[in-house]
Amino acid sequence: MGELDLKNLRIDYGARIIIQNFNLAVRNGEMMSLLGPSGAGKTTILKAIAGLLTPTGGDILIDGQSVRDVPPEKRDAVMVFQKPLLFPFMNVAQNIGFGLRMRGQPGREAQRHIGAILALTQLAGLEHRKVHELSGGQQQRVALARALVLKPSVLLLDEPLSNLDANLRQRMRELIQTIQSETRMTMLFVTHDQSEALMISHRVALLLGGRLRQVGEPRELFYQPADPEVARFFGGRNFFKGRVRDGQLHSDLGVFPVGPQNGNGHVRTATIRPEDIRIAPQAAGLSRGLRGRVVKTRFEGSSTRVVVACGANEVIVLTSEDAYRPGQEVAITVPPEKIRLFPGD
Amino acid sequence: MKTSSRRFFGSIVAAAVGLPFLSLMLWSFAERWFYPALWPQAWGLRAWRYITSTAGLQVMTAIGHSVVVAAVTAAVAVVIAVPAGRALGLYDFKGKDLVSVLLTLPIIVPPLCVAMGLHLWFIRLGLAETYAGVIGVHLTFCLPYAIFVLWGVFANYNPDFEDQARSLGASRTAVMARVMLPMILPGISVAALFAFLLSWSQYLSTLIIGGGRVTTLPVLLFALMGSGDRPVAAAVSLVFVAPAFIALLFSARHLGNRSLAGVR
Amino acid sequence: MTSPRTTGADARTRQGPGAVALSLALLPALAVVLLLFGGGFVLGIVQALGYLPGAGLGEWSLAHFARVLTDPDFLYSFLLTLYIAGASTAIAAGISIPAALGLASLSERSRVIHFVFQMPLTVPHLVIAIAVMFMLAPAGLFSRAAMGAGWIASPADFPLLINDAWGIGIILTYVWKEIPFITLMLLAVLRHTGRDLQDVGRTLKADAWQRFRYITLPIIFPALGAASLIVFAYTFGAFEVPFLLGQTYPMTLPVWAYKHYSDIDLMARPEGIATGIVIALVVMTAVILAQVLTKAARKRGLIA
Repeated sequence: MGELDLKNLRIDYGARIIIQNFNLAVRNGEMMSLLGPSGAGKTTILKAIAGLLTPTGGDILIDGQSVRDVPPEKRDAVMVFQKPLLFPFMNVAQNIGFGLRMRGQPGREAQRHIGAILALTQLAGLEHRKVHELSGGQQQRVALARALVLKPSVLLLDEPLSNLDANLRQRMRELIQTIQSETRMTMLFVTHDQSEALMISHRVALLLGGRLRQVGEPRELFYQPADPEVARFFGGRNFFKGRVRDGQLHSDLGVFPVGPQNGNGHVRTATIRPEDIRIAPQAAGLSRGLRGRVVKTRFEGSSTRVVVACGANEVIVLTSEDAYRPGQEVAITVPPEKIRLFPGD
Repeated sequence: MKTSSRRFFGSIVAAAVGLPFLSLMLWSFAERWFYPALWPQAWGLRAWRYITSTAGLQVMTAIGHSVVVAAVTAAVAVVIAVPAGRALGLYDFKGKDLVSVLLTLPIIVPPLCVAMGLHLWFIRLGLAETYAGVIGVHLTFCLPYAIFVLWGVFANYNPDFEDQARSLGASRTAVMARVMLPMILPGISVAALFAFLLSWSQYLSTLIIGGGRVTTLPVLLFALMGSGDRPVAAAVSLVFVAPAFIALLFSARHLGNRSLAGVR
Repeated sequence: MTSPRTTGADARTRQGPGAVALSLALLPALAVVLLLFGGGFVLGIVQALGYLPGAGLGEWSLAHFARVLTDPDFLYSFLLTLYIAGASTAIAAGISIPAALGLASLSERSRVIHFVFQMPLTVPHLVIAIAVMFMLAPAGLFSRAAMGAGWIASPADFPLLINDAWGIGIILTYVWKEIPFITLMLLAVLRHTGRDLQDVGRTLKADAWQRFRYITLPIIFPALGAASLIVFAYTFGAFEVPFLLGQTYPMTLPVWAYKHYSDIDLMARPEGIATGIVIALVVMTAVILAQVLTKAARKRGLIA
């Protein structure tokens, strides 16, 4: 069982408020990402949950019980840090078995657990290696194994993959996902990489500007961002305003049918993702869609980013065709079903 | 650490460190101090006047000898230790372990043994009872200490700075003088301080090699202890401690937080 | 002995400067060590083995060593010296561990304590021995204070702390000097590895004692071992302090050695040197023993 509840958490550092009014519920068996730019206080939150830091206010509950007064040694939460921080004088097996020894569980039983974890984290055969003989990825896996073997209710991971190179990071992500689905352990995973969060989590909690902006499944945050900042964080662009009249949005980019629930007569902010806009070279005669002229293009590998001037607006389009050049006349089409209207203003 | 524990800890340290100094100061200013008085019955400057005038020449000579020997030892030790420390700190090479052992031995083996062995040879070489001889015997253990300090400094040294300087057009000498030296200056200060203090406090090795000629301060002090004149002995002791203490003050200010870790 | 290991982010086996440059860099140092130290030591052995051409002794023999080792006083002196060195080292090391932990937890504001703590490093052993004599002699300051407080009636009632059989004054002098030495070496290590591993220990369910025993201690052990070894070697072979504060009989080995060396009877000289060699051998054995034990412990993952 591993339910984590953060209620009105507040953490001060001297005179500075790092976190306040923080409320989050992580469900049993869930992999939740705590996503946000560096320095937002995510590590601080993890440390508070782990017990390595005392919050100034609010409460932390694991499985319904408050753990505010429980020291980290006794809490059923284990933290994995950004750097592996393996004990330099112990070998792999001794590192992994450390927590078990501290709990007084040495012996055959512990050896079996360690063996199982070694297999799970793909470290079999490396039991007797000294720490300094391991590669970066191996060290991080040992750090992970060391925490997993204790079977905590909540596993806290503080950007464990940031120090690894891209390929290794991907392999480790998959490994962590596999481990999570096999063990059904509740995990809170801190990261600043939005695609990573989207990739591995059941739910994502987005922390921006010191506040929790949105909590939901990856698709929700991506397709239904709560506000323009959230949208922007996930690569959304093309924000425009329009007035809703009789179920239609009247804007510079055109008139689009939008559902009746969006209020009548109000000005709303809307967005359309760059990859959802369709772009085609303007063929003489065919003038379907908005006219525009390409301002600049940027080749990004699997896609090309095209900035198009449409009247007074600039529209950013992401297309898989590297066929556009500055100055070119193009026609862009905005599919109404892909427009996202933000609630309120 | 809580304030109360800090105060307690601090007072214990202050008392333990300060008491010996207090006893020396009291005795150096005592004219008459018989048992069982806790404070001197009569205060006075007799001892201080004695060592500055009557025995002034003796004391000054001893100080002079000590300063010269210690300073030269420190200087020579540092000059030799910098390249050696650099080689050991930056590079790995065959025989490095052997060199390390060779450098450890003079630190471990008491100076007494070496001095007794060297004495005959120094007599033959005409080095006995000379500055050079005493400096030589002091170097046997001061040098390895200096090397170890600089080894540590260079182990944490980033040679990329030198590469950067060279690629910006600096010559090899300029790099040494303007990049390396400033960066290792704190380390050099510590190494020089070690060597100086080690040489400054040497008694037996100076006595054996220096004979009666090179009378350093500890040799004088030892002789004074025999005379039973406590105030004078106390005064000379304080003179003996002074330069080292000043050096500590100096280094604390200039080395910042770095301590004299390792000085014995 | 732990040599600083060239590890870390900036470690590299750089494109070396070549064998010639390397040798030039090390040559002066090695020359001094080999010539002066090596020479002195070897010559000492040679003289102790009887070969003293200048004094008309041209024969190699073990007679001097034999005379030294079979002298009944030798055993007493040896055991006394071993006891003093061992006790001083153990006490200093034992107190240094909590002292280092204490200093490590002090904040930046307590630089004064840190500074005061370093002062003994600058005081020559001779001076502190004199101060100890002034304080702990039967008619010394502590005795007078005790008299004033009414605890004793006369100097004779004051416990014998210097020139005594247990070498208390000597040990106290060494402990006063060596605690800062060891503590600061430990502090350097503690500051370096610090907080992070403590946090790891805590999240991995280790309580304060367990963290000390299984994390802190193994990490400071190499420095502790090295510093203790230096202290042991020094106290075993030191002359000044036991000469001033020790009993006239039995004397410590270094005092014994010098007594022989400076004897009017020139024949006693080689015996003094031989004793000196024995002292050196004892100390070297201690170092080797320590190295062996350290290697074994390191292999078992007990220490860093």
